[in-house]
Amino acid sequence: MVIADELTSPIPTRGGRGTSRSTPKFKFDKSLLGLLPLFLFLGYFLLYPIASIISASIHDNKHHLTLSLYGNLFSGNYRDAFTGSFKLAFYSMIVSGIAGALICWSVVKTTGVVRTITSSAAGVLANTGGVPLAFMFIAAFGQEGLITKLLLHVFHWDLYGGSFDLYNFWGILLVYCFFQIPLMVIIFTPALENLRVEWIEANESLGGTKFQYFRHVLIPVLLPSFLSACLLLFASAFSAFATAAAMSNGSIPLVPLFIGNLVNGNVIAGQENQGDAMAMGMVIVSLFVIAAYLLLLRVTRKR
Amino acid sequence: MKRKFTAFDKVIIAFAAFFFIAPLIAAAEYSARGYGDKGHTFANYSWIVHQLGFSPALLTSLRIAAITILIVLVLMVPTVVYVHLGGRRYRRLVEILCLLPIVIPVVSLAIGAQVAMPKSLQSTSYELCFFYVVVAMPYVYRTLDIGLQSVALSTLVEASQSLGADWFKTLTMVIIPAIRSSTTGALFITFALSLGEYTLAVLLHFHTFPTWATNVSQQNIYGSIAISVTTLGGAWIFLIVIAFIPRIKSLFAQRKRVA
Repeated sequence: MVIADELTSPIPTRGGRGTSRSTPKFKFDKSLLGLLPLFLFLGYFLLYPIASIISASIHDNKHHLTLSLYGNLFSGNYRDAFTGSFKLAFYSMIVSGIAGALICWSVVKTTGVVRTITSSAAGVLANTGGVPLAFMFIAAFGQEGLITKLLLHVFHWDLYGGSFDLYNFWGILLVYCFFQIPLMVIIFTPALENLRVEWIEANESLGGTKFQYFRHVLIPVLLPSFLSACLLLFASAFSAFATAAAMSNGSIPLVPLFIGNLVNGNVIAGQENQGDAMAMGMVIVSLFVIAAYLLLLRVTRKR
Repeated sequence: MKRKFTAFDKVIIAFAAFFFIAPLIAAAEYSARGYGDKGHTFANYSWIVHQLGFSPALLTSLRIAAITILIVLVLMVPTVVYVHLGGRRYRRLVEILCLLPIVIPVVSLAIGAQVAMPKSLQSTSYELCFFYVVVAMPYVYRTLDIGLQSVALSTLVEASQSLGADWFKTLTMVIIPAIRSSTTGALFITFALSLGEYTLAVLLHFHTFPTWATNVSQQNIYGSIAISVTTLGGAWIFLIVIAFIPRIKSLFAQRKRVA
């Protein structure tokens, strides 16, 4: 194949030294053929839909090229939706990141049955979450829920006395923690499993205190994986749809809910393609987050 | 790794257990309530099964899950094997491609599907199968990749081919059995995902089990919570059982040896 290519390729002229170097002849590699099914599948079912959104998002309803749909994202309801999603993703990242890391710290030390039960529970909550989780919460923390009653009668704490409401921001944040914390446990476990007992011993034999171990061993070793796990949490909360859709009756402005509304035909006249621009906005945000994640991962792997 | 299990860890685990189990128990209690203070019953659970559309919705979801699994098996297993064998230099590329769906929020994918897919495909709920394959791809790739890293793939292939097996036989009778646990893992993830997926199904207006469950919940709040408790509890028990299977197997094997 390679020989045939060289035989049939035109002999480069002396004068064309620069051109022949800057435009290398595309060599078809047979081994790419084996990947053709994957390329075709992803091309049609992932890239083609995304390309269609991009194309729709830069055209207005009269098929003129425009960027105004993206401009709209920075004002009015659209901006509120993005700030709402950012706030929710950020808060749930902080809370779940820290709580999840703490729980993970203890869970990796367990073995046997306890480990099986905790890891399977984390798997279920992180993956099947969504709608069932939302209903579970309505049952437990709702006005008539067992936990609400328990808090009121045993601890004399009226959950609904303050600003808490299951259907407002804080309620949704609470529910998000219930699938975000397990997700953190799952993705942070490998990092903690890589900690060596020898490091504790080395620290002790060098006369280091527990605080010194924490400050000079644990934090430097774990920080990159902790931060990258947090970024994944952010991306997950930012794009979650099912829980938010089941919990809120549209009372909280969130990007996925907004898009869902637009898809269901609640379109303002003349803004048919606004949903596409919003969807692209989400893709762009999550591209940035994942890019940061990959960069951090590279830092982790270099060690 | 054996680090010391301290009192601090016990407190954390106890607290986490309470934090996660209490709502489940509270929800289970709620789902067993009857309308108008009639004490606790299982009426809401039998109510689920007797609802209109229960079995069609469940069947649709099962069919979609089955086809999704089939596509994953036919598309992903050979591709990942191929990357490990011949196309090694494309490993990085394939890895990035397979992780790409993580970057695309499912909501955005749903919009794209609505804009781009031909009407003939959009009119059938089997459209979901293809997108579930896309959504599951990162996890499937990871699982298969890890499985393949742990076997001496080229040795297996050489051995099988020197014994006269063709590629298909090598794949189905040598490679897949060799990575059986990670293949089942990948298929299990796919299965769970396609049974529980809500976003794509509801945004593309299909009637699967999760969308049906949310619809009927508007009539009977107790029933909807019964459905949720069943889904979450059932999935959890199922996972625990699966995790314990190897242990039970080895227990039986030991007994046989003793006898």
